[in-house]
Formats: sequence, C-alpha cells, structure tokens
Amino acid sequence: MKKIIILIALISTLIFSCDKDYLNEPKPTSSVSSSVIFTSRDGVNSFISGILRASRLELNLDRLDTGGLPSLYFARTVKGNDLVLGVQWYRFDYNNDNRDPTDKRTVFNWAFPYTMINELNILIKGINDSENLSAIDKDETLSQALTLRAFYYFQLAMEFQHTFSYDASLPAPPIYTSPALDGKAMSTLTEMYTLILSDLNDAVEKGADSRLDKSYVNKNVTYGILARVNQVMGNWSAAEIAASKARIGYSLSASNYSNGFNNIDDGEWIWGIPQTVDQTITINTAPHSFTDNSNKIGYGEAFWNEDFVNRFTDTDVRNTFFDLFGFGDNSGSYKARASSKFRLTFDPDIPLMRSPEMLLIEAEAKARQENDNEAATLLFSLQKNRDPKAVASGNSGTALIDEILVERRKELYGEIGVEWFDAKRLRKGIIRTGNHRVKSPGNLLPDDKKFFLKVPQSEIDANDNIEASVNADR
Amino acid sequence: MKTIFNLSLIAMLSMQLLWAQKTITGIITDETGVPLPGATVIELGTTNGVSSDFDGNYTIEIGEEAALEYSFVGYSSQVIRDIDDDLLNVSLNPSNELDEVIVVAYGVQSKESIVGSIAVISDATIQAQQATTITQALQGSIPGVNIITSGGVPGTNPIIRIRGIGSINADSSPLIIVDGAPFNGNLNNIAQEQVESISVLKDASSTSLYGSRGANGVIIITTKSGTKRSKTQLTISSNYGVSNNASALHNLINIDDFTKYAWESSRNSEQYVQGLTPSAAGSKASMNLISELKYNPYGLSQPVNTSGDLLVSPMWDTDWKKAVFSENVTRKEHGVSINGGGEKTSFYFGSNYLKEEGQVKTTFFERIATRLKIDTEVNDFIKAGLNVSYTTSKLNAPSQSGDGIQGAIQWLYSVPNYYPLYQRDGNGGLILNSAGERIFDYGNNLTQLVNGSRSNSANENAVGAIDNYKFVTNLTSTTMNGYFNVNILEHLKFRSDVFYERSSYDNFSYSDNNFGIAANVNGRVTQNRDFDTTLNLTQSLNYKTYFGLNRLNADVIFETLRYQIDELGASGIGFLTNVNVLNGGTRPEGVSGSNTEERLISLISRISYNYDKKYYLEASARRDGSTRFSEESRWGNFYSIGGSWIASEESFIKDIDFINYLKIKASYGELGNNRGIGYFPYLQLFETGFSQGTNPGVLSSSPVDPILTWEKTAMLNYGVEFGIFDGLLDGSVEIYNKESIDLIYDKPLAISTGNDFIKTNVGSLRNYGVEFSLRSTIIDKEDFTLNLGLNFSLDNNEISKLSQKEFINDNKKWEVGRSLYEFYIRESAGVDPNDGYLMWYKDILDTNGEPTGERTMTKVYSEADRYYVGASSLPDIIGGFNTSVTYKNFDLNALFNFSFGSYVYDHSYERLMNTTDITGQRHADIANRWTKPGDVTDVPLLLNSQNYFGATSSRFLFKNDYIRLKALSIGYSFKGSFIERLNVSRFRLYLQGDNIFTNQTHKGIDPEQNLSGATNNRSYQLKTFSLGVNVQF
Repeated sequence: MKKIIILIALISTLIFSCDKDYLNEPKPTSSVSSSVIFTSRDGVNSFISGILRASRLELNLDRLDTGGLPSLYFARTVKGNDLVLGVQWYRFDYNNDNRDPTDKRTVFNWAFPYTMINELNILIKGINDSENLSAIDKDETLSQALTLRAFYYFQLAMEFQHTFSYDASLPAPPIYTSPALDGKAMSTLTEMYTLILSDLNDAVEKGADSRLDKSYVNKNVTYGILARVNQVMGNWSAAEIAASKARIGYSLSASNYSNGFNNIDDGEWIWGIPQTVDQTITINTAPHSFTDNSNKIGYGEAFWNEDFVNRFTDTDVRNTFFDLFGFGDNSGSYKARASSKFRLTFDPDIPLMRSPEMLLIEAEAKARQENDNEAATLLFSLQKNRDPKAVASGNSGTALIDEILVERRKELYGEIGVEWFDAKRLRKGIIRTGNHRVKSPGNLLPDDKKFFLKVPQSEIDANDNIEASVNADR
Repeated sequence: MKTIFNLSLIAMLSMQLLWAQKTITGIITDETGVPLPGATVIELGTTNGVSSDFDGNYTIEIGEEAALEYSFVGYSSQVIRDIDDDLLNVSLNPSNELDEVIVVAYGVQSKESIVGSIAVISDATIQAQQATTITQALQGSIPGVNIITSGGVPGTNPIIRIRGIGSINADSSPLIIVDGAPFNGNLNNIAQEQVESISVLKDASSTSLYGSRGANGVIIITTKSGTKRSKTQLTISSNYGVSNNASALHNLINIDDFTKYAWESSRNSEQYVQGLTPSAAGSKASMNLISELKYNPYGLSQPVNTSGDLLVSPMWDTDWKKAVFSENVTRKEHGVSINGGGEKTSFYFGSNYLKEEGQVKTTFFERIATRLKIDTEVNDFIKAGLNVSYTTSKLNAPSQSGDGIQGAIQWLYSVPNYYPLYQRDGNGGLILNSAGERIFDYGNNLTQLVNGSRSNSANENAVGAIDNYKFVTNLTSTTMNGYFNVNILEHLKFRSDVFYERSSYDNFSYSDNNFGIAANVNGRVTQNRDFDTTLNLTQSLNYKTYFGLNRLNADVIFETLRYQIDELGASGIGFLTNVNVLNGGTRPEGVSGSNTEERLISLISRISYNYDKKYYLEASARRDGSTRFSEESRWGNFYSIGGSWIASEESFIKDIDFINYLKIKASYGELGNNRGIGYFPYLQLFETGFSQGTNPGVLSSSPVDPILTWEKTAMLNYGVEFGIFDGLLDGSVEIYNKESIDLIYDKPLAISTGNDFIKTNVGSLRNYGVEFSLRSTIIDKEDFTLNLGLNFSLDNNEISKLSQKEFINDNKKWEVGRSLYEFYIRESAGVDPNDGYLMWYKDILDTNGEPTGERTMTKVYSEADRYYVGASSLPDIIGGFNTSVTYKNFDLNALFNFSFGSYVYDHSYERLMNTTDITGQRHADIANRWTKPGDVTDVPLLLNSQNYFGATSSRFLFKNDYIRLKALSIGYSFKGSFIERLNVSRFRLYLQGDNIFTNQTHKGIDPEQNLSGATNNRSYQLKTFSLGVNVQF
C-alpha cells in the first residue's frame, strides 16, 4: 500500500511538472522588440540615438584608425599637404597608399557607411509602416533618417569614385533604400546623387528646427549637408541658399577657439559627436588623439607643414602652432611645428559641422556666381573675427575664390579633410611641399585614381552582383 | 504503447507461476564471503527468477533438471546445473575486463551489452598524467577524439571534437555530463584525483538519449564513490613539480641586427621605390633612421653609416622574453581522501589543493576542490544518495594570447630589443622617480623628441601591464546531486534525481592609475559577477525482466533542465595609487546587468533486449522541447537503434582456441544540436546599450531567419571488438559516417547590405572515418608485466551540400566536396632574383576572361588569385600510444600523443617576417633576405614602404605534424615489512614528467593551436617535472 501511494505521488509529480507555459516563460532581457520601437516617438528617438551613437563605433578590424565617422574624416585630412604625419596609425593613408581591395581603409570606408545605411533603412521602413506615430512625429523623425542616409551615401560617392563633375555616368557603390539581405549591383554617380538630393530635399520639407541636442539632425544640419553636396555638384545657387540657412542661429565665436576643440556646446558648432565618460572611444578619437602631441595618452605624432603654418598671422586666433622640440625655422624636420588646436581629454566631443564652413561655402557660391562683393564681405567677416588685425585683401575673381579656398583650409584644418575634399571636387590634385616626411610618393595628381578606393574583396566575395572586374580600372 | 507494455508485464508475471516444482535456498556472496544483496538467480530457459535479499539469501522454486544462473553487476555470472541439494551457496568472482561495467547515458551497462561506440578511460589512465582540466586526460587515449589545448594558461579547457566537426557555427563540442547531469560549470573545477572514470559516447545509439544535445558526442565524467562493507581507507597524495615551455619560441634577432635591418629597409625604399642612387639612398637612410625609430640606444645621431655598418654598441638591449617570462615555475598538488562503507551506507570524501603557475609572470591557477558522497539504503526498497561538491578557484592570467596590445606573447613578437624596458631621457640615461626607482617605459612621452614615444605599441609596456594591472577570476561552484530509488514492484524501479549547480564567477581587473591604458582616467577597476544556476530534474522508471534466455530492460525518463545566467558588472575610474577597490574610485564609469534563462523538457525512452547474452538489440527515442527555438519549431524527435552479436559465444567460434572474444556491432540514429546559437536566435530584436548622452539608444540586431530549424545529424557506426591469444592482442575497429543536415551557419552577406551575416540553415556536412584501438599484454608475470596500447583514427570532413555555390570564409573557401578546413589563399611563387620582390600566382585568362588552367606570376598582390593549396588544418591521423611496465616494486607509464597531416597558418611568423613597419620585431630568418640582384632566396628584400610581402599567402602556411610525450611516470611502491611497520597499506613514490618531449615539423609555436589552424600569439603549454608520493592507510 505504501508503495502504491509513493507511486501515485511520483507519477502525479511527473505530470504536473509539465506545465504548458514552462517553455514560453524565458524571454530576452537585454533587447526589445520592434513593437516597442515603432509605436512611440520615444521609441523612434531611441533608435535614432543608437544610430548616432554608432557613428563612432569601432569596426573590429584590429586597428585604431577605424573609429567611426571621425576616422573617415581624419584619413582624408592626412592625405593632404597641410598636415605632416609621423609614424603612427594613419601612416598608410598619409602615404596615399591604402586603397587595395584587402586594405583596412578600403574595407572600413565601405563597411561603415553601409552599416549605418542599413540601420537607417530599418528606421525609415519602421516609421513609414507605423500605425501609431502621429504625422508630425513621422515627419520629424523621417527627416532625420533621410538626412543621415543622404549623408552616408554622400561619403560613399566621395570615397569610391571620381568626383561628380568628372563623369557622372561612372559606377558608384550599390544603392539600398530598404533593408536587404542580397547584395545589389553597382549604381552610377548620377543615380547616387539623385537619391542624395531627393532624400535631402524631402528632409528639408519635413524637418524641424528643434532637436534633443546638437548631435541630432535638425533643419540646420540638413541644410549644411545639402550645401556640401551642391558644392560638389557645382550647383552654386542651391549651395548658397542652403549654406546661409544652415548657419542661422550659429554665430562665430572666436573666443572658444583655443579651448581644445572638444566641446559641442561651442556656439559655432552646428553638429557634432558628444562623448561622455561612460560613452567614449578616448584614444580612438580622431583628430584629438592623433594630433595632440602634448598628451601622454594619445597617439600624437602629427605635425604641420611649415608652408601652411606660415599662412597664419601671429594675431590669428587659429594660429595654434608651436615649436615643440625647438627646431627653429626652416630646419627641414617634419617635427618642426606642432599644433594645440585639438586637446585630447578622456571624452572629447568631435566637430562635424561648424558655421564658419557654411559661411565660406556661401562666400564661395557667391563668388562662383560672380557676386564678388558680397563674397568678399562674408569672407572678411570671418577673417576679422579670427584676427582682429586682419586686413581685407581686395581680391576678386579667381584670386578671391583661391583666397576663400585657402581660408577654408585655415579654418577647418584637422577637422573634416577639407583640403582633400576641395582638391577632389575641383579636380586639382595635391602636391606636397615643405617639410613633409613622405613627399612626392604621397602626391595626388588632378583626377588621380588615388582619390578613391577600390571595392573591397569581401564585398566581391559575398555579392553575386559585383564581379572582381569591378576593380579592373580603379 | 504504454498499454502494451503493461499487458506484457502482467503476462510475464503470470507465466512465472506455472513451472515451479522444487525449492532451492542459499546465500550468494562475493569471493571473500561477503553477502551480495540484489544478486539475481534465474532458472535457465524460463522466465523464473528471484533476487537475493539484503543478507544475500535467496529462495527459488525450480523444475526438475533445471539449471540456475547467478549474476550480479560487476561479477561474472555463474551457471550451475545438476542441482541435487536444496541448499546451494554460491560465491561470485569479480568480472574480468570484458565484463566491466561502463557508465552510459542514464545508467550503467556491462561492456559486452553495449551496441554502440563507447570508450572509457579509467582511474589508472587518468592518474598516470597531470590533467589540471580533467578532459585533457582524454588526449591520446581514445581514438576519434581530437583534443587541442590552446595556450599555456593553467586550467585552460581544451577544445574537444569527437569524430570530426559536425557543425559549422553552432557548438560542435561534446555535451559534458558529470555524475548524471549536464554540466554548465567550468571543467577545471573538478580535481582529477576525485574522478573514477570518463566515458566518451561517440555514436548515435550511445548518445541518442541526450537527443537535441547529443549530435557531437557526449563525455560522461563519474566521480569516485565509497564501497559498502569495506574497510575505511585514508589516502594522502602530494606532488611538486617545476615547469617550463614545452616548445621553443620563434627565433628572434638581437638589437644590432634589428638596427641594421631597419636601415636596410629604409635604404631599399629610397633606392628601389623612390629611385635614388644607392649612395644617396644609403645616406638618406642613415639620416632618417633615428627619426623613424624614434629611440636611439646608440647615442650617435647617425649610428649606422651610409653603407649600413653599425658604428657603436648600444646602451641597452632589452631582453623582453626574460622580462615577461618566469623560468622554472612551480606546480603543487596535495590531496586527501577517505572512503569506506558499512552494512547499509557507503561514503567517499575527498579534498584536493592545486596551485599551478604559468610561464608568463604572475600567472597562476589555484583551486581547492572538495567532494562528499553518501549512498544509503533507507529500507529494503528505498535507496538514496547525496553527492555534494564545493570548489573555489582563482586564476590570475595577464593577457597572453591574441593581438591585444597588452598580450605578453604578442609583445615578444612585435616589440624589438631596441626599445627600452625603462624610461630613458633624450641622451639615453635612465629616468628615475622621486624614490630613485626606474619607471617602465610606455613609449608615450610625445614631448621628448628622442627616446620618448614609439609608434610600435605606444601607451603600453607588456612588463608594466603584468606588474601594474590585475586580472583575477575567482570562481566558486557548488553542486548537489541527490537521488532516491524505489523498488516499486519486483521488476519495476523508480528513480528521481535532482541536480543543482550554482557557480559564481567574479572577474576583477585593475588598470594602473599612473601608467598604461587607464592612466588618463587615473586607473580603472572593472568587476563582473555572474551567477550561473542549473537545475536538472530527472524522473525515471526502469523495468527489467527475463523469460527463458531473453532479457529485457526498458526505461522511461522525464527530464527538465533550467539554466539561468545572472550577470552584473560595474566599473569605476579615478583611483589613488595602491587603491584598487571600486569604493576607492572617484567616478563610476559604467554598470551592466542581464538575466538569461534557458529551458529544456525531454521525454526519453529506451528498450534493450538480449538473447542468451549473444544477441543484443537496443532502441531509444527522445523528444525535446527547447526555448532556443520559436514555439512552432521548438520540438524535435530523435532516435536510434543498434545491435550487436557476441560471435565468440557461438559454439563454432568457441572451438577456435586463439579467439577469446569477438563482437560485431552496428548502430544508426538521428540526433540534434541546439547549442552555440545564442538563446533567442529566432527573434529579430533591438539591442539596448547604445545611449547617446542621456538619451537611451538601441540598434537593430543582425537579421534573423524566421524559419531557422534544428541542426540534425544522422550517424552510422559499425564495429568489431576482439581479443585473441589470451590478451596478446585485444582491440576494436570502428567505422563511422556522420551526416549533418540543416547546418546552422552565420552566412556571410554582402557588406553593402550593412549586415555581416545571417544565422541560417545552409547545407550539409559529412564526417567519416575509421578508428583503431589496440592493446597487448606482452608479459604478465607475478613481478613483471608489460602492456602496450595504440589507438588512432583517420577522420575526414566533407561539405556535402550548400545553399549556394561557395562561401569564402577568411582563408578558407567552402564548396561541395571540400573540407571546411581547406586553406584557400594566394600562393606564393617565391622571390624574383632580379629585384627581390615576392611573387604570387595568378590565372592566365582566355579571350572570354575565363581561366585557361595555366598560371603565371605577378608582383601585384591584388591581382593574384586564390587557390586551394592542398592543405587542411584538420589532421589526417591523430592518436596515441602508451606503455605500462611493472617490475617488482617499480612501475613505469608512458603516454605519447600525435597528430599528422594538418597545416597551420602562422600569423606570428607572418608578422615577424613582415617588414612593412620597420619598428617591428623580426624573425632570425630575415637573415636570408634578398640583398642584391641574383640572390636566390625565399625571403624578399626589406622594404620600408607599403608592400604585400607579409600579406596572407602560402608563404606562412606550414605542415604541423607533431608527436608529444604527454606523460611519463616512474614509480616505486614500498612493500613488505617496511610499510607494515608504518601501518600503511600502500606507499608509492614517483617521478612524473608531462609534455617533456615534443617533436614538431613547424618550430616556434606550440603545435596545439586551434581547429582552423591559426596561431594567435598564444602562450605555450608547459613541460613539467614533478616528484610525488601516494600513501594509503
């Protein structure tokens, strides 16, 4: 009898322990489902925040020169004549010799924008498909997504083909406007710029002036990117309008110039990447970590061409150059001039767009449209702000345009690769002068193929629509 | 089915009553006269049988002319015919090896009844070597088991693959079962001294009871127990050893050669790339040398003259190896155990202490493992037992594998002797701190022109990293196995098992406040604490019966598994010197935490049958429901069938004198695999943790395949076991074929889609091979025995189906008919004697752009084509051989293991031979470089500008055969009056050597790297000499 009772007890345990929901109870705790994201403005904002955070993501390529968007810009900076790079992480870019299908620069500059574009396509689809978001929320979030998508396609167009004005029918990287698993064929520059303009114009329509903070996209940012795109395409009147709208509300502030360029709250900054102690890539941060020679934690070893340094007056607030090792003038040493423009702290903010750039785009656009007077006035307003003792040059025509281009380099050095950007879009080339460590082998001739990268081998390997022959003439 | 089962039960019980005519009683004992409770007595040719009671008494009614068979687990059965007395006492002898009891899935079986492929290593094999992690003891002892220990951190758990690689992405390691329950803890927490046996289950019939987790084989570890009615024994063991690297490091160059090579690289660049005249190039190289290298150990501004001669001696010549490694590190292990048992209860208690140091300074693994096991008979039908273990371990392991800048081995292979260990001023003088001590040089003083900052590994110093950082992992693990067993009816048993395990991992790392990676934040403390909890419940019913010569055994088991991971982490920054607890930080830097849970429900059944112990059949089935799949695809069914024939029991073979044992077996089954694919691989989610400032942020996870299904493996096994000439040759041969379908793989996507991969079912994989296990007792005399053993396997891996034509995966390309592990890389075509440039092969194309099959050479790396170069990272043959000798009081055991036919891609060597960066450390082979036109060599010229000589190619691919003397022990056991006076029953002194000899085809690395044949700057396994003593009271 005792045995029978035990048996019954045991068998009932066996049966009752088999609860039907036993296998349904465990749920993921570190992730959320799309229903949480696309049913509220807060949800969509969190996805946008994540995407912005990812703009400084380090792709795992075992190198420190692949730290998100800042590294893409800094690689452009070191390709020019103004900065002289020591033997450090970006040295292959400095040599203008980092563009083969298996090179890290090639892989990163392709993979990083596309990673962002995929997230943005998921975001755009989610917003469009959402039945819970209000029309105004949809517009305001879509405008941010479209601006960012255009921004990253713009980088791909610049990095993987000649400039637009060279031959717009040339192959450009593939275009995806919705989330995809299968690789697409190459597009053309025309198709790519058409998409970029349509995304940006759409974003201008839908955009808002307000935003969560300066790392987010508002109308100013959209206009700023539109100005840059039109500048490359040579649409000068569109560039002028966009640039002027971009800088509304962001006046010049020379007083902050010597503070180390690491604070997004600076009044001139239209757009930037903020870092905090718990959200920082520290020594991976370009340009700070790779140009600050005074700091014992960064990679420093960046110097400045004496030819470039000599363009600055002593009273120019932007003249941050100094003789670190006491070489004196014209020593020929590539280490002769260091700069204190960027100071590396543990969590430096990174500039992406400032109002003086917009001012100079506006000035250039006016000059290109033969409105020299207004152009010169604008230009001098900046020069005077930076150097109280500045004297107007009185230049006009080509000389004025050249002066504006030099002013762009003086204003934006180290930030967004302005020298490379201008040489590429204007099809001019960059010839190295002065005290460079690597001189003529680093030269870029007008329309040099070294202005763009080959298509990565890993893309060719995994994409059925792109053949190895894509690199035949690159 | 259950109804049929019950009906046959009733039928059998009633049949029993028809035959009884004569009553026999007696006592069944073991060979020493101790009663054996529960032994069975069967009337041959009938279903009639009884069991002995607790005192070994039995009573059975049998027919006239009947014969009785007496049997008991672990003892040889005995048949008695012509019974004419009513009183029949029987003593049984312990079974010989062929009858040994083997731990199998959910139970034990006699060796001859096994229809599948199960190999066992016993206590003796385990104790003849030093296995800090218990699974290392399998290496070289069991055919078909590939064991690779990656790196030299003590306590490293080896990579284990049973019968090839059955999975691409999902976990292809075997399931580990410890004392009956799946083990989720760290295997290095089990002391080898406390392990009784390890069973390796290789085929479907032996593993199918583990269903969805059995496809890659199962390893069952069984710990020691006490024995009832035995004298209490106290065993004390102790040993002490000294270790050094088992394999030599790569040959590196000295500082003067480094300096001259750096000059030559620069000169060559100026001359051959920039086009300067040789003399202009030479003088430019001399001029630029120090500014390129940034340090100057020579004092002179141009230490190398324009023709490349070094003019002075260096002020320092850093011996990084000496600074990073300790020599003669120690290993000590002490253990105590007590076991015994009374009438109804048996017990085992063991406690073991181990401390093993590693070669990289400050590396050690320390462990205390304690286990208590009690089994008791509550009454005549209930048995219960409890098995409790408590282990704490501590591992301090500075980074010593991988490319991380702190990695000790990485450092040796990238930073030359040229750079100083301690800070130097611009003239080369030592810089001292205020206390007059030298300061480690982190190469980060950008404000000092010379001897201030290096581009090579800036901001770090591997020796400083070892001294100034801490990397401690504390692990505490508690396990409890409890069971009770009820004999419900005479043939029906119920057993309930509860297994509970809780492991807590406490990772502590500290980075110095003054130097290195966290100096800018005044130091960082990161602490992660994880609690892993496993609860496994098993309820089983076992029915056992016999009728005539038929024996039937059936099990029905219900099992639930719950595994929880509870993670918490925190980091803080801003510490004062010598303060390294989170409380001392000025600012919290981050916190993290998560909870993950996995569950599995299973219903299991097994029926085994044999006729006259000659013909065996076994079938089993399991149904699993796993939370790793969506509700729709969560359940999977798995099954197997197997049979064997003990041919040597047939009369026509019994007559052949030289055959002692012959068994033929076959099995087939289908199993699944759900491990290694994450906990929720079917859900497309947004990952948290991407906040921007104060705004919470998420990012989309990788795309998922909504129709992801189980990986399944069909396995076929044939085998022969034999014993001939009375022990002169025993062994087995097995042939297997494993076909894995619906493999789960992270299929690479075009990067332009913004996705790296999608986890999906891509194809099928076949593993097939043959395994041999042979042993021989050559001499078996009173005071002299000699045994030899050899085992090896030939395993093949082949992709049998793919969802697309091919995948390129790093330096492998997968296509149907190839192995997963065949290298597909650019093929080096040697060095052009005219200009010293390295060349590679490329296809010659016809007019349509298709390869003609002819090849030509190119100096442009990106133009070169990739080829299968006839090399795989999987070995053709792996195995081991062992010998054991006893002569009078001496004993000797030796175990070798070997691996032939695999290739390794040596990334460390690649780096040491890559001269693109002139500040990097070099291999001594650079001496063979091309220096002038006409030189015939395989080392290209040195070039300090972008080149691809060091890019992935067959130049760095090497054959990686090796044979290793894994364990050698020589012991002396004191006998006779000496130990009797001490009141000791056993006293053995021994010398032990582990990994003391390694012969390898590619020098400079440890031959054990990883499955895909890639080195990764890993530290080296240790060779250890030790002296030990073992005393039993």
